[in-house]
Amino acid sequence: MELFTPEFGLVFWMFLVFAILFVILAKYAWPAILKSVDERADFIDKGVAYAQEAKTQLEHATENAQALLAEAQQKQLEILREAAQTKAQIIEDARKAASVEAKKVMDAAAVAIEEARKESEAQFRRQVSEFALQIAEKLMRQELSDNKKQKELVDKLLTDIENKN
Amino acid sequence: MKKTIFYRMLLLLAVMAACTLPVRAEEESGTFDAKETIFEHLLDNYGWEVPFSHTMRIPLPIIVRNHEGEWSVFGSHRVAHGETYNGYFIPQEGELKGKVVTLDADGNAYRPLDLSITKNVMALFIATALLCLCFIPMARWYRKHPHGAPRKGYGFMELIIDMIYQDLVKPVLGRDAKRYAPYLLTVFFFIFFINILGLMVIFPAGANLSGNIAVTMVLALCTFLVVNLTGTKHYWKDIFWPEVPMWMKCPIPLMPVIELFGALTKPVALMIRLFANMMGGHLIVLVLISLIFIFGAMGTAVLAGTTVLAVLFSLFMNLLDVLISFIQAYVFTILSTIFISLARVHGEEAPVK
Repeated sequence: MELFTPEFGLVFWMFLVFAILFVILAKYAWPAILKSVDERADFIDKGVAYAQEAKTQLEHATENAQALLAEAQQKQLEILREAAQTKAQIIEDARKAASVEAKKVMDAAAVAIEEARKESEAQFRRQVSEFALQIAEKLMRQELSDNKKQKELVDKLLTDIENKN
Repeated sequence: MKKTIFYRMLLLLAVMAACTLPVRAEEESGTFDAKETIFEHLLDNYGWEVPFSHTMRIPLPIIVRNHEGEWSVFGSHRVAHGETYNGYFIPQEGELKGKVVTLDADGNAYRPLDLSITKNVMALFIATALLCLCFIPMARWYRKHPHGAPRKGYGFMELIIDMIYQDLVKPVLGRDAKRYAPYLLTVFFFIFFINILGLMVIFPAGANLSGNIAVTMVLALCTFLVVNLTGTKHYWKDIFWPEVPMWMKCPIPLMPVIELFGALTKPVALMIRLFANMMGGHLIVLVLISLIFIFGAMGTAVLAGTTVLAVLFSLFMNLLDVLISFIQAYVFTILSTIFISLARVHGEEAPVK
C-alpha cells in the first residue's frame, strides 16, 4: 500500500533538508539560546543570593546597632552607678578624715588641758604650801614669843617624833 | 494574546475544514469518491491544491532522471491532466497511478529516479524556513540582550525550549545534555512545526508531512544513527556480550540476537508511532468531513444533521490534533533522549546520572 511505502524522493529531500536544518540550528540558534538562558538563570540566582545576603546583613546591622545601643545604655548606667558610688565613697572618706582630724585636735586639746591643769595644780600647791609656810611662820613667831610655850612645843614635837619612831 | 491566537486558529480550522472539501465535491457533481479524496489528502501530490478549486493546483517543479541518465525539470502543471511532457506523464490508474512515469525502449512504463519537489517536499522547505526564521532571530535577540528576559513570542518559545532542555534532556542525559540538546531540540521543534502546519488546511500549510512514513523514517533513522554512532563501548558490550549465563550467548548467540533486534526495533517503533498518530488524526478528520457528502445523497434533513455533527466532531478532532501534535513531538523527543541515554552507559561503577 502506498501509504506505508516511503517514497525515495521524499526520503532524499527529508534527509538533506533535516541535516541542513540541524546544522544551521545547532550552529546558530540552540547554543546561543541555551547559553543565554543558563547565564540568565545563574545571574538571577546570584542576584537573589546577593539580595538575601544584603537583607541578612541589613538585619545584622540593625541587630548590631540595637546591641550597641543597649550596651551603651548599660555602660551609661554602670558609669552612673560607679559615679554615685565614688561620690559616696569620697564623702565617706572625707567624713572619716574629718573625724580623725577632729579627734586629733580634741586629743591634743585634752592633753593641753591636762597639762595646764597639772601645771596650775602644781602652781596652786606651791602657793598653798608657801602660804601655809608663811602662816606657820607667822604663827610660830607669835607662839614662840614666850619660853614656856616654846618648851611645851618642843616637848610635844619630840613626843610626836618618838611616837612615830 | 495567546487566547486570541487560539481563537483565530480555531476559527481558521473550522472555516477550512468546512470549505475545502465541499467545493471539491460540488465540482465532481455527485460522484464523490470518499476513499480517493481521503487518500489524495493523506498522500503526496505533485501540485498543491488551492482552496475553492479542485482542478487548479499550484505547480511545483518535477525533477526526474530516466534510465538513460537524462535529467528533466519541469512544472507539474505540464503533466497535470493526463498530458505528456518530454515523455513523462502521470497514469490515472494502474499500479503506478499518480506517479510520474516514462516509457522505456520497449514501451513499458517505469518510474524514473524521482527527486521532484512535491507538495510534501515543499512543505518540508517551508517548515524548515519557518524554523530558521523563528530561531535564528531569537538567538540573535538573546545575543543582543544578555541576561534579558524575552516577552511574548520568544518568551513562549523559551518556555518550550526550557521545558525540553531543563526538564527532559538535562535530567536524563546529565553531563551529556549540552552535547545532545541541539539535536533533540531540532527534532522536537521540527516535528512540532510540521505537525501544526499539517493541521492548517491551505497553502502554505496543510501537507500531511508527519503522517508520511518517509519523513518519520528519516527522523527515526537520524535518532538511530545518533544513538549508535555515539554509543559507548559498554553499550556495545551489552548488546554483543551481555552479562547473562554463558549458555545464553556462547554456542548460540541468543541474547545478542535479542539485544540487536531490540536496538533495531527502537527506531522502527519511533517511526511507526509518529506516523500512525499523525496519519490517524488526519484520517479521522477527513472521514468525518467525507461523511457529510456520503450522507448528503440521502436528502436535505440528513445532510444538515450530518453536517452539524461532522463539523462538530471534526472540530473536536482538530483541537485534539493540536494537542497530539505537541504530545507526539514531545514523545518522540523523550524516546530519543532515553535511547541516547541508554547508549551512553559508562558501566556499573560510573552511572551517567
